[in-house]
Amino acid sequence: MSPNRSGSSLIVVAVGSRHHSPVPAIRSFEFKRRETDRIVAGVAGGLADTLRIPDSYMRAAFLTLLSIWGIGGALYIAFWLIAFDKIEDEEVETVGSSQTLGLAAAFAGVVLLLGAFGWWPNPVLVLTAAALSFGTAALSDSSRPTPLAGLFDPNVEKPSRTRILIGVVLLIGGLSILNIRVGGLFEFSTVFLAIALTGVGVAVAFGPWVGRLVGDLATERNERIRQEERAEVATHLHDSVLQTLALIQRSGDPARMAMLARHQENELRDWLYGIVPLDGIDLVSTALKGAAARVEEDHEVPIDVVTVGDHPVDEQTKALVGAASEAMVNAAKHSGADRMSLFFETDDDQMSIFVTDQGVGFDPSAVEDDRRGIANSIRTRVEKAGGTVEIVSEPGEGTEVVLRMPVEDQ
Amino acid sequence: MSVKVYLVDDHRLFLSGVKAELAEDFRIVGSAYDVDTAIAEIRGLNPDVVLVDVHMPDGGGVAVVEGVVATNPDVKFLALSVSDQAEDVIAMIRAGARGYVTKTIEPPDLASAVRRIDAGDAVFSPRLAGFVLDAFAGAIPSDDDPELDQLTSREKDVLRLIARGYAYKQVARKLSISIKTVETHVSSVLRKLQLSNRHELARWASKRRIV
Repeated sequence: MSPNRSGSSLIVVAVGSRHHSPVPAIRSFEFKRRETDRIVAGVAGGLADTLRIPDSYMRAAFLTLLSIWGIGGALYIAFWLIAFDKIEDEEVETVGSSQTLGLAAAFAGVVLLLGAFGWWPNPVLVLTAAALSFGTAALSDSSRPTPLAGLFDPNVEKPSRTRILIGVVLLIGGLSILNIRVGGLFEFSTVFLAIALTGVGVAVAFGPWVGRLVGDLATERNERIRQEERAEVATHLHDSVLQTLALIQRSGDPARMAMLARHQENELRDWLYGIVPLDGIDLVSTALKGAAARVEEDHEVPIDVVTVGDHPVDEQTKALVGAASEAMVNAAKHSGADRMSLFFETDDDQMSIFVTDQGVGFDPSAVEDDRRGIANSIRTRVEKAGGTVEIVSEPGEGTEVVLRMPVEDQ
Repeated sequence: MSVKVYLVDDHRLFLSGVKAELAEDFRIVGSAYDVDTAIAEIRGLNPDVVLVDVHMPDGGGVAVVEGVVATNPDVKFLALSVSDQAEDVIAMIRAGARGYVTKTIEPPDLASAVRRIDAGDAVFSPRLAGFVLDAFAGAIPSDDDPELDQLTSREKDVLRLIARGYAYKQVARKLSISIKTVETHVSSVLRKLQLSNRHELARWASKRRIV
């Protein structure tokens, strides 16, 4: 290794970097060896930090240069010797792969220049080394999700498809050359050489651009998601809370105000704590709360809903919920009570619903026709579905409607 | 002599509202907007009943209860919160509160709750009764955990009636027992809730939050 050759390689780095988006650190060419996250002595890592390119590309460059008369090794040792300090392991921005482009372009230039003087390094060896090392680097680039991780881990963001393609092309190209070399099929080597070169060209030409584009898109998408969430919250509050507050301000009736506030409170609570049916399964508790909220709204009587256990809504429970809803309406219309309660309980054998009020009550054995009608409609509905209805009331002692339904094994 | 009541709530508007509601029936001896002031003043004033909010900075209602229980064991706590989340209720009851009501409670009901707490009884709102039934229904019988207290069928009957909206008096009549017996059942449920298997209740509570 002559000093002349390693000297030109140093120029390669400097020239290439200066041409494409100069980085402040390069001007003085200060770099520090990596203390952590290193493979040999942290030289490649340190250089990668200085040049702000991903480690794997820097290492690939050293490996490739190693195949040209061992320049890579000489360079590595040279940098090791001039490295005066170690660097703390810090987060380094890994954008700007344009430096990689510069490195590769300048490298190709120097090889061509030396070739013009008849100093060709073994092209097969160099291209194989370049294709293999850069291909591996593109696939394993630690600064972005790796394609392999992306394939197996659904949480990893999708890697750039272009990068995978480039990496695969480079690897195939390199392996093909190696295969031909070993197999001695020199007549095809130019074709594969062309493929490999095209692969490198595409990678160098579009890699950084695609990388930046993907990065921008990700940032933009995150921003958009945030804005959409905000808009959703704003819309919800506007449609619900603000409307209710406006209604309350305009309402002169305390009972009406309390009703509005109560209704809004329930609604907001459900929204905040995400009490919604899971996976599209409607639950009896949710259906009962909905039914109670409608009765509250229509008849302005607060209803305390307490549920113990739960059950999916099916034909049977639909009948039960419908009957409970009628019982609530009935109590709201006739009991005169200023509030009522609904209690739902289910165990392994049966579901029970109690609609209780502390209102005027009545004598079940001597009721007017219209009330009997409602009672009958409750009864018919539940009994048709296989349940029972019990109405307990005395004048002055309030009313309780008890609905029971056996739980069918599923 | 009227009952000495102390109020703790970081929501000033709500605090003054409750103060006005209770001032007729009770002697409001003081109030605080934050945990540290509350603990210091309650220790000094030794009130009969403390109405305490659950969600406050610096540890909330649990910190107030725990800060006072050791020095003033006679002070009784009633939690008053906008939250009816299972975790909050469990935490307050475990800390030593004798009851838990939500802030939507009607003023007369709140006054009677304070009186009941002062008399040494536990206060279960219908929602809290349903919550306790739910928690104990999900608890697995004691094979793998002998410490887990089960509710007796009578206690469950009492809780069911409370969950159905019955007043204690009506519960007593319905079950043909005295009000005193109803109160005993409720207090023993409270004790079981405070002592019962931590793991089971916590698991139940977190499950409930998801569904």
